[in-house]
Amino acid sequence: MTTADLHTLTGAYALHALSDRESEEFARHLAACPACTQEVRELRETAARLALAAAETPPAGFRERVMAAVPEVRQLPPLVPGQGGSGRSRRRMWRRRMPQLALAACLVVAAVAVGTTVDAEHQLAQQRSRTATAEQQASSLSRLLVAPDAAFHNGGLTGGGSSTVVSSARLGQVAFVYHGLPALTGGRVYELWYSKGGVMVPAGLVSPSPPNGAKLLNGSPSGAAGVGVTVEPAGGSPRPTTTPILLAPLPSA
Amino acid sequence: MHAAVPGEQPVGPSPGPGALEALLDRVSRGDQAAFETVYTTVAGPVLGLVRRLVRDPAQSEEVAQEVLIEVWRCAARFDRDKGSAMSWIMTLAHRRAVDRVRSAQASTDREQRVAARDHTPAYDEVSEQVERRLEREQVRRCLGSLTEIQRESVLLAYYRGCTYQETADLLGAALGTVKTRLRDGLIRLRDCLGVTS
Repeated sequence: MTTADLHTLTGAYALHALSDRESEEFARHLAACPACTQEVRELRETAARLALAAAETPPAGFRERVMAAVPEVRQLPPLVPGQGGSGRSRRRMWRRRMPQLALAACLVVAAVAVGTTVDAEHQLAQQRSRTATAEQQASSLSRLLVAPDAAFHNGGLTGGGSSTVVSSARLGQVAFVYHGLPALTGGRVYELWYSKGGVMVPAGLVSPSPPNGAKLLNGSPSGAAGVGVTVEPAGGSPRPTTTPILLAPLPSA
Repeated sequence: MHAAVPGEQPVGPSPGPGALEALLDRVSRGDQAAFETVYTTVAGPVLGLVRRLVRDPAQSEEVAQEVLIEVWRCAARFDRDKGSAMSWIMTLAHRRAVDRVRSAQASTDREQRVAARDHTPAYDEVSEQVERRLEREQVRRCLGSLTEIQRESVLLAYYRGCTYQETADLLGAALGTVKTRLRDGLIRLRDCLGVTS
């Protein structure tokens, strides 16, 4: 990674959005980059404001539990220079190694899958319109995902991959959030369905590439008992021609 | 309450500039009264942030409690040359909560966490401190000045603990785009909020 590339990682680093390896690499870079260090400091101060905005009143008894624990906990001495105690040991103290999730908890929140490959020099106009579409979808999805009555159903897909079906009766919307969709041959696609009164009603197509993303279902979930996913020939089918690889119930309204 | 800061209220207003730093200094020398004031100042944001990430109320309390005890344990390691005390504590809280989210592997566990979301009590607007509401409104307004992609990237990373890779997958955007949006989104937020360091 070039130095310029590294410098753009200040934001991701400040938000703990790097992998462990990248984070350690960037921390080494920080030691030699006062400008980056200053920027990370400011971005962390900024992020702290997001925490303040999320403040909640702790439940009864919480203060007492914390205060009761404190006298039992031995305090660490200050670091003395030469003890090798700069950012590195502090980082070790703060961090525990963690396995990455195949499907992170964040998968249930906010997503767009329009394959917005924001790829450089060509197709600028097309890119711009795709980004606009992406932003529009991101906005609908965000609204759905934070809806007060949003319900989530996690499930694996037969044949590979995992998914979360997010639904809100109040908004009349359902999203299919997926991760690790297996590639399909011969132009076949994934088709989404509502199950209404025992009949499968088409609700949109999902391309197997890219394998991760989210799709708002077409049409209203009103009267639907569940959502299904099948593999269909290119262009989709008016009714399922294969066994569903996922059937997820929707909460009854 | 042995408040060291004049005007200290029972629920989390921010003390004056430098006050939290001075308190941490006392905490580092074993001053439990000073720690109680630190608790009063930061427990609300720590718990709120952790809960956004971890979601399950019981697990959130557990992680928030760990964070607060970590503040007590490591107060001597706080280095004010590296940022404010609030930033240090919130960075610690964020790191802990992100670790918890990422190490929760079993899908059943995930499912429970997701299900728990619906049982999280709604925020009681009435009990909200005026100062806290102002903070929230200002942050909301500034978030509104970001582009949708910037905002989604920052919120997914910060409140959901997504890596930039996961964020890119979710937004259907290129990795490089998300890296850049995380940075320029935060920079815009910094400027809008008037954050100085």
